[in-house]
Amino acid sequence: MSDTIRVETGSMGRVAYARIGPNEDLVLGVEKLCLAEGFRNAFVRGALGSLVDACLGTQEGHYIEVKGPAVEIVSLAGEVRSSGDGALRASLTGVVADPDGNVYGGPFVAGSNPICMTFEVTLEEWLPAR
Amino acid sequence: MRSPVSARPPRPRTLIHPGRFNPVRIHSLRSEAGRHVRLALLPGDTLFRGLVEPLALLGIRNASMTILGGYFAELRYCVAPPDPSGQAVIAYGPPIEAGRTYMIFGNATLGKSLKGEPLVHCHAAIRTQDGSVKGGHILTDACVVSSAPIPVLVTSLDGFELRQAYDPETNIPLLQPFKAGVDE
Repeated sequence: MSDTIRVETGSMGRVAYARIGPNEDLVLGVEKLCLAEGFRNAFVRGALGSLVDACLGTQEGHYIEVKGPAVEIVSLAGEVRSSGDGALRASLTGVVADPDGNVYGGPFVAGSNPICMTFEVTLEEWLPAR
Repeated sequence: MRSPVSARPPRPRTLIHPGRFNPVRIHSLRSEAGRHVRLALLPGDTLFRGLVEPLALLGIRNASMTILGGYFAELRYCVAPPDPSGQAVIAYGPPIEAGRTYMIFGNATLGKSLKGEPLVHCHAAIRTQDGSVKGGHILTDACVVSSAPIPVLVTSLDGFELRQAYDPETNIPLLQPFKAGVDE
């Protein structure tokens, strides 16, 4: 916990919108969008789309699988942070609906949430005060 | 609703789409800053009209919107199972009548349709009239705001536009970002 910043002040910067294509991973795709647009820290301002299947994490370190296609992303919030190891890390949480409209929620597991048709996302850059 | 829980993450599936694979996977554009607007969807308005009309008056035709929760007197949505025709991987199913509905949280994108008219793409989690919690693609012109205004946070997308355009890979029209005044 020693590297946890409890309070961080800053301001909002640029705004990027992307359409991420099918079979790309949701979480890694958002990280790559930040690379494409030069964002180092960002918040998700809006997102919707569909997944082939969804994979959500549990507190016990297990994985909840929601079978599609398509699994609709019906709510999503999250952020991207640059870390001290020279990498970006997106943390995304949300609610998804299966092909019968039944809903499930949790954190999206990186590498396990392939996009089905499209994923629309708006990121707003976060500029921490120095 | 419970789903399988496993100790290992499932192997992601790579679906075969009907069209040719596009090597460009992320289509993005940015603006130097976003304008933010708080809207209220008014009782009796459809979700579509309540979003599009006040933003048009502000000159906002491209935006990302968060619907912060509220009651609808009527609401229709649909889900997207596999497309039996095979023309696309999935296709929207028939409209599902949710009745008097609470929208728990919704996200929507405002852009332009193939015909050049305003288009709202909206997904939301809802509690339907029978009490079940569902989610899916919201049919915004068939959703009527109930007796209390519903707040919406809007982030405008300036300097570029979102247009519905045919996507050869998935074989359906999709919202995509374009530089203003530039055709596909």
